[in-house]
Amino acid sequence: MMVARGERILMRGNEAIAQAALDAGCRAYFGYPITPQNQIPDYLAAHMPEVGGVFVQAESEVGAINMVYGAAAAGARTMTTSSSPGISLKQEGISYIAESELPCVIVNIMRGGSGLGNIAPAQADYFQAVKGGGHGDYRTLVLAGWSVQELYDLTREAFDIADRYRSPVMILGDALMGQMMEPVVIPQEVVEPEDLPAKPWATDGAKGRPRNIINSLYIEAPDLEEVNLRIQGRYDEAAASEVRYTTEHLAGAKIALVGYGTTARISVAAVEQGRAAGLPVGLFRPISLFPFPSGQIADLAEQVEAILVVELSLGQLAEDVRLAVEGRCPVHLYGRTGGIVPTPAQVLGEIERLAAEK
Amino acid sequence: MSAPKFAYETTRGFLPGHRACAGCGQAAAVRVIMEVVGPKAVAANATGCLEVFSTPHPESAWGIPWIHSLFENQAAVASGIEAALKKQGKLDGVKVLAFGGDGATLDIGFGALSGMFERGHDVLYVCMDNEAYMNTGVQRSGSTPFAASTTTSPAGRMSFGEDRPKKDLPAIAAAHGIPYVATASMSLFADLRRKVKKAVGTRGPKYVQVHVPCPPGWGYDEKLSMEVGRLAVECGLYPLVEWENGKVTRVRKIKKVPVEEYLKGQRRFRHLFRTEEGKAQIARIQELADESIERYGLVG
Repeated sequence: MMVARGERILMRGNEAIAQAALDAGCRAYFGYPITPQNQIPDYLAAHMPEVGGVFVQAESEVGAINMVYGAAAAGARTMTTSSSPGISLKQEGISYIAESELPCVIVNIMRGGSGLGNIAPAQADYFQAVKGGGHGDYRTLVLAGWSVQELYDLTREAFDIADRYRSPVMILGDALMGQMMEPVVIPQEVVEPEDLPAKPWATDGAKGRPRNIINSLYIEAPDLEEVNLRIQGRYDEAAASEVRYTTEHLAGAKIALVGYGTTARISVAAVEQGRAAGLPVGLFRPISLFPFPSGQIADLAEQVEAILVVELSLGQLAEDVRLAVEGRCPVHLYGRTGGIVPTPAQVLGEIERLAAEK
Repeated sequence: MSAPKFAYETTRGFLPGHRACAGCGQAAAVRVIMEVVGPKAVAANATGCLEVFSTPHPESAWGIPWIHSLFENQAAVASGIEAALKKQGKLDGVKVLAFGGDGATLDIGFGALSGMFERGHDVLYVCMDNEAYMNTGVQRSGSTPFAASTTTSPAGRMSFGEDRPKKDLPAIAAAHGIPYVATASMSLFADLRRKVKKAVGTRGPKYVQVHVPCPPGWGYDEKLSMEVGRLAVECGLYPLVEWENGKVTRVRKIKKVPVEEYLKGQRRFRHLFRTEEGKAQIARIQELADESIERYGLVG
């Protein structure tokens, strides 16, 4: 059964991510069961064989991420998906992939933590995602969508970004984004693997050319520093070209909400209710979480009287916002944790409280 | 004279009121196991159905100290408990147990399990084998039988379901040379009781793998769990065998019913009865049963 293209269809976030990978020319998927992302491997188990790709359910998350490492080294477009505890297990592999300068896409459909936590929506893996996560001096490029359509679009594009920067790219969603069903339009045109730009660095057979080396071991410190600086240079390049965000109702706003994914979706409803009640409030929504839209948030801090960060964690996003704001305006936090998802009314209550303090 | 007590009322190892599905083979097996083990025990339990249905915080069906760990760690956690109790002189008479499902045991927790065997910890490891990741929605595991349809080994135009036979973990456990290994079935209570009794009476690492039918995962009427489990044994697909120090010491003889009798009532095998290719897979499954009958001398 192939997906209906070019028309509005109802799709779950996890399924849209899986379909986006197929449409981006990903033909090598490696996963392991964990709630709430199981529809991704389920979907790809059924549909990857139809496009001649490989679906493997690994024996563990460690197995899955290292299969991605191998497949990426061999030049394939490759992806793995998991949820919070599983992403923790993958960190060693992600560090190796980043230092080996290999492109891949990793999806984290976050759930409540820490520890076993629960399977409700959360954004508590923000630091892990944007600050590197595993050991060493690397980052993953991180994108967060707020609708099923955007999850599709970003996942598809993530493969191009990964190739461009030879870096892992993470799609950061949560249980709500993954499980939610919404209308989505899957475009007609798809990427076939044979149409993709060549990867001259890939270790896919050295007959007739000098050998390629995929490696993250550099015993001599100057050699390792050189590699790390080269990789850092790509992050600087991404900071100049890959920052993404949207704004809603910011014109004339005195209070700006900042949130991504699920919390941005809730916040925009609160903002619209606030505007209807005459409150000067707007929303700034980062889409790229690394690179972070720091410059844009600094500009925003010059225009508004206060910023209210709304997140499903306890001050992780707020920390990056404060680093961007550098004291230009007060930064307040409305953080919920443990799988609690606030209502727009609760967010509006925070806005009203802030407005009353002025 | 007061009314006779149920066994769980006196042993208080595993109590009713938990949230297992109707007909859950695992819930029945754990009750039987804990009746034999008794209250002087400690259990480490991996993530999976058993953990989820028996311990929705703050409720618990366990009458003994119980600790949860993630999927891959239960053998390591049990090793730590045993080592610490021993060092403190508190292990005397205490049974240290580890529970894991087939995914936790055969796949992600396999390394830790092998380490526990090799180091010789005095732990009984019980694998609840329902032949897929049921808690996350029926994904295949290393223990999923040949040709079974799961959400990640779906039968259809491109596939007849799981394309490999079950990983033979009992034989791998036995190859560690540990004192006691057994396979058992939830459907044969007396046999299960005897094996658990033997296991807890043996010092060192023990491995007992219990076949536990799963109505929603396998797709059969929940009242048939005992019958489905019994058929798996009687057709030879789930041989009940005991190993001591690496050698087979005892097998349970069977009647040898055709594998179709076992397969036909289950949704996970239903595709096999619809096509010519499916018939060929059934023949292959019969060969797998015949091989195990031959290997362990299950008939005669």
